[in-house]
Formats: sequence, C-alpha cells, structure tokens
Amino acid sequence: MKLIADRLDRISPSLTIAMTAKARALKAAGKDIIGLSSGEPDFDTPRNVKDAAIAAIERGETKYTDVAGTVELRRAICTKFKRDSGIEYTPEEILVATGGKQVIFDALVATINPGDEAIIPAPCWVSYPDIVALAEGTPVIVQCGQNSGFKMTGEQLEAAITPKTKWLILNNPCNPTGAAYNAAEIKALTDVLMRHPHVWVFTDDIYEKLAYDGFKPATVLEVEPRLKDRTVTMNGCSKAYAMTGWRIGFAGAPITLIKAMDKLQSQSTSNTSSVSQAAAVEALTGQQDSIEDMRKVYERRRNMVVDMLNAAPGLRCHKPEGAFYVFPDMRGCIGKTTAGGKKIATDEDFTIALLEETGVATVHGAAFLSPGHFRISYATSDEALREACTRIQKFCAGMK
Amino acid sequence: MPALAERLNRVSISASVIMTIKARELAAQGIKVVSLASGEPDFPTPPHAIEAAHQAALAGETKYPPQDGTKRLKEAVQRKFKRDNNLDYALDEIMVTNGGKQSIFNAFMATIDPGDEVLIPAPFWSSYSEMAKVAGGVPVTINCPQNNGFKLRPEDLDAAITPKTKWVMINFPNNPTGAACSRAEMQAIAAVLMKHPHVWVMTDDMYEHLVYDGFEFCTIADVEPRLKDRTLTVNGASKTYAMTGWRIGFCGGPKALIKGMMNMQGQATAGVSTISQAAVAAALDGPQEIVRERAEEYRQRRDLVVEMLNAAPGISCHKPEGAFYVFPNIAGCIGKTSKGGRKIETDTDFAMALLEEKYVATVQGTAYGMSPYLRISYATNTENLREACGRIQEFCRELS
Repeated sequence: MKLIADRLDRISPSLTIAMTAKARALKAAGKDIIGLSSGEPDFDTPRNVKDAAIAAIERGETKYTDVAGTVELRRAICTKFKRDSGIEYTPEEILVATGGKQVIFDALVATINPGDEAIIPAPCWVSYPDIVALAEGTPVIVQCGQNSGFKMTGEQLEAAITPKTKWLILNNPCNPTGAAYNAAEIKALTDVLMRHPHVWVFTDDIYEKLAYDGFKPATVLEVEPRLKDRTVTMNGCSKAYAMTGWRIGFAGAPITLIKAMDKLQSQSTSNTSSVSQAAAVEALTGQQDSIEDMRKVYERRRNMVVDMLNAAPGLRCHKPEGAFYVFPDMRGCIGKTTAGGKKIATDEDFTIALLEETGVATVHGAAFLSPGHFRISYATSDEALREACTRIQKFCAGMK
Repeated sequence: MPALAERLNRVSISASVIMTIKARELAAQGIKVVSLASGEPDFPTPPHAIEAAHQAALAGETKYPPQDGTKRLKEAVQRKFKRDNNLDYALDEIMVTNGGKQSIFNAFMATIDPGDEVLIPAPFWSSYSEMAKVAGGVPVTINCPQNNGFKLRPEDLDAAITPKTKWVMINFPNNPTGAACSRAEMQAIAAVLMKHPHVWVMTDDMYEHLVYDGFEFCTIADVEPRLKDRTLTVNGASKTYAMTGWRIGFCGGPKALIKGMMNMQGQATAGVSTISQAAVAAALDGPQEIVRERAEEYRQRRDLVVEMLNAAPGISCHKPEGAFYVFPNIAGCIGKTSKGGRKIETDTDFAMALLEEKYVATVQGTAYGMSPYLRISYATNTENLREACGRIQEFCRELS
C-alpha cells in the first residue's frame, strides 16, 4: 500500500519556497543576496502588542480557549469590522484561526464537494487553487492582465459562473500584484453576484490597511450588504500589525458557516494560541498609529521601486494601489541573453539568472499563475531596495 | 446557505465540549458547578517557559517560522526524544504542529485514501475517529475491556487487521481510562504488528510523564526499533508542562511521512506561533523537576478519587496507571431513577442527571466508545475533587 494519499498529489509544490531555498543556499555559500521574495513585513510587532501578550501570560491566559477564539478577541474583531468597514457582525459570526490561511482552509474544506467550482482571478496567491483542489473542488482561473490593472471585470465574472460555481475568491489588495478594487469596481462584481444567488464570495482583505495615494480598498459587504448571508470577510493581524509569526487570522460569516468551520477546526487544531489571541486584542483595539507609520514607508518604497523598474530596459511595471508587491511585466526580455550568457526564454529563467548573476531574489510570475512577470516584495529597507533595483537595471541593460 | 461538504456531515462535535459548554451555562446562572469534564491541567505554565516567551517577543521573534518548526524547537524536540524515549530522529524527521491534534490530522490527511481503515482501541479520544472520517477513512474500533485494565489485547489487534488497515492508533496512558502498557505488554502488541508490514502505527504519547507508583512509560518505536520506519511518535507540551493554550504538539517519523505532513500543514495553517515555540523549547530543555512534582500531586488526587468513587453505591472504579482520568463503571446505577425523577437508562442519562441535579460535570463513556462508564478528569484541586466526589456519592445513594 502506498503511503501518501491521492489528495496530496493535487497540491502543486510551492515555487515560492523553492526560490527562497535557492536564495538561502547562495547566501550560506557567502554570496551577497538581497531577498525580495518574502511576503512579510520587515517591521517588528508594535511594542504595545508585545506588552499585551506578556501581560496575558502573566495573568495565566495559557489555557484552552473556545475553538472559535476568546470572546474578548471576537468582540474586538466585531469592533474592527464596524469601525473600518461599517459591517455589523456579532461574536457568534466570528471565527479566529491560525493565520488567514486556516480561515481559507476551514471555509473551503467545510463547503466544497467534489467537482464544485471556485472562481479565482489571476495573478493569485497559489494557496487558493491548492486548497480548492485539496478539498476536491475545481479552481476556475480567470486571467486579469496588466491592462485592466490586474483586476477582474463584471463581464469576466459573469462569463466564468456556471451552475457548479460555489465560490468567488477575491483578494483585495492582491498578492502578488498589489492591485486593489475601489467601491465602484467591487460594485461591478457584486451586481453580477446578485444575479447568481448560488454563488458565495470569500474576500481576503489581509492587505486592507496597505493602500496608497488616498486609495480606499472596498470590501464586498460595505458595497453590497445584501450579500451578507453568503459572504466570508477574512482579515488578520499579520500584515497590518507586522504579526506574521503570531499566526492570527479571522473571519466574519453567517452563523451556519461559522459553526461548520468551527467544527472542522475543532478536529484539526482547536483554538489558536491563547497568547497570540491576547496580543491580537490589543492590536485591533489599541493605538493604531503604527499602521499609518508603516503605510507611509511602504508608499515611499513603492514609488521608488516602480520608478526604478520602469527605467530598466525590457521591463514594464504597473503602479499598483496597495499591498507591498509590484508585479512587473518582463516579456520585453524574453529571447535575450544575459551578460552571464544565459538565454531568457521564460520568467523563471529571468528570476534564476537574476539571482545567480546579481544576487537579487524575486519570484517568477508562473508561481502566481501568470507567466511573463515576476513578483517583487518591497517589504525591506529603502537601501536594500535601491541597491536591488540598481542591480536589476544593470542586469536588464546588460542583456543582448 | 449552500450545502456543507459531505465530509463535514461525517463529523460530530465532541461530547466533552458539549458538557463543558452546558456546565458553563449553569455556572453563568450563579450555580456552583464543579467541572470534571475538561482534559486540561490546572497548573500554570512553568516560569522558565514564560520567561522565554517574554524574551522571544522582545527580541522580535515575531516573523513567519519555517512550516515544520523553528530550528531551536526542533533541536529541543530531538533531545527530548533521545532523553525520554531513547529515540534518534534526524531534524528532517521531526515537525512541530498546532497541538498534538494537528500532528494526527496532518498524518491522516496526508495518507488516508477513501476506504482506508484506522484501527482505534476503545475507549478512545473521539477526535481519532472524527479525524479519520474527515480524511475519508473508516474508523474500526477494538474493544479493550475493563477486565484487561482497558489495555489492547494482542489477539484482538491481530483479528482486526485487514488488507485495508492503514493505521493503528496507540494511546497509553490513555484518554479516557488512564490505562498504560508495560514494556512486556507493548512488546506483545509490537509482535503482532511485525507480522503485518503494511500497517502504520501512530502512538499518541501526550500523557507519558503522568504515570504513577513507579510505573515506567514506554513507546513502541523504542520497544521494537524495527517498527520505527512505519511509526509516527506524537507528543506535545500541553499535558506535561501544562501548556494547553500555547498549542504546541510535535512528532517524529520517517522522512517521507513528515514531508507529506508538512505539505498538508503548509495548506492548512503554515507554521506555528513563534512565541509559543520559544516557550516550549525552554520547557523541554529546562529543569524537569516540576514534571515529577506535579505527577506526585496527580497521584494523590487519583487515589482520592478512586477511593471516593468506589464508596458510591453502583459505581466500580478501576485504578489506572496514568494520565489524569479515571473511567468508573456505572452499570450498577442503570435502570434506577434519580432523586429528581430522571430515569437512568444510559451513561448519557447519568451524566446529564448528575450535572442537572448535583452540578457535577463529567463526560459519558459512550463519547469514548464504551458504556456504561463516565470519564472523570482529576486535573483540578483536591478541594474540588472532594466536593465533586461527595456529590456523586450522594447522587448514587439517592437513586431508587
């Protein structure tokens, strides 16, 4: 009898991790590597949040909590949804999980039967299609190119919906493109959804706080409250409060779905760390100044990176509304040969040659189901970004 | 609401959770409820673990951890397996999970195809069968009768194995009975498994340090090293170090299995809280006297509870080797009527009447696959235990 179950064969190996591992190996070998491949804030968790965690430990908050999270945290999450998006949830409509990833896992594994379809605009974070596939569903990928700002239109959504569609999965602002939808753009999608009452929508708003030039990303329910009985609004602490390592994600959703997710989570991990939950209460309800401080820094970096990349021959970089990624088009380099003698036929060739010849680690677009591009995370220092972009410029200029 | 996934309809909610919630509702009405329903140590987290968590937060260990655990914690786990269990695991044979529960979930999800059988000695922790069902497997129970000390008889195991058997679960000291196997008893189980090379073994050793009267714990991969290449050894910090809320489990197993489990966890939750990992590394590497001191405290409680329960008419309570549970037989109460007029036809009737009339929360044996029994957790202080057992005696005396 073979050891590994068929369901695992449906998951693609992570291309992001392969790139990170290669960069780590080069670094260990003494190479000067600048990592722009990680989707993680370079800021530390705010001090008030750390202090809250330490105080919780001292109070002995080190026991099991309800699977769905402590009442204090679920109340804080209700406050956050109301304050930031005008959405009214009760604590019974909230679930806390180990990172936003587990929210997605819980929702999809709890609802998808074999053959159910989930519509996913691409470029996308590959965990969405992977988790859909793990749940025996069918990911339906809709390509949204740079010309539409990497966003899905109402027409595209309408064309993708079938009787088997169970979910639409939105990520606003988006990893890997940084593209974000405003209220009018979300309205174009929700109008379509109103005509298809069998379709649920999962909106991953984890980068919500990271938007620039006064742009306000809109979430589904603030635009169309009538969708509330078939919407999951997902968010978390990782990006807004630089709390990736604490592993706190959460969602608001109709009570029946929350109960189902709770049931699944009770048989996979139970509650997430009680200490992290206490930290999250402070993050959501304490002073919010650190968000604006971080946001300003990211905005400055985005502007610099986009300008510098557009000065590199063969690259075309759209300036996105949010997150901490840009997703430049590199097709102008295809067919050329690098100074190191490497022929560039694909985006993966480009990122590997870039890493090997200049020490800059990025991720190729195919890892996000959109070849011909690569992802740059600007969640690192200005100096490192300037140096990295200079190397990319030289790398492109040196191609023949 | 869309139909839930079929896999979720196969799952039921844990009876101990239902009892705990019911007890909490009564307590909220101002009633003095004594809960013996929860499987959670009443001790605090060790001070050196708390200190390590402080330091980790302050030092900025707040970033994404590797999906299989931090190097620091994996090395501590490696030392623990060597020190306590005489097991040598390489670092790529170890992974860290959100509680021991996720180790089991990962293993089942990564290996079980529809129809694969999981052999579960009963009485058992209900999550084993629920997780097997989520993964599409078929739980098959093997009765471990009270007259054999609730331990697995080798001939029963042999008779239960079929060509479709994928896993055998071993959990001694056992939740809910407290039963533990001696080395000779474990050798007899291992001898059966040696005859069936297609069967994998999962041993949940969460209660290993809670054994009394000089009893020596053993784990199967140490007892029969030839089984090590098809054994997953699961353990964690929750029970040994009273760290339930921190959510740290870990396991050692063959590299191919661990790799499959990591792929699974990568899609479900990714890594585990960095702060919790730092705390547990300190707990594993720190002074272990606290573990022995607490075991002595548990032993005294066990002796008290067993003695008091055996003084209750209609109850016969076996004195187990370990864990913090006893599993009294209540056959002598079946068919009677409580003072409040409730007919006791099952152990569920007994547990409900006991809670509603005497405000003592326990869990019915049915929830663990054997009746008519009760599970009583003695992980609470002596005063509570004396009060609760007194009320149980009164409840039984008043049956007519």
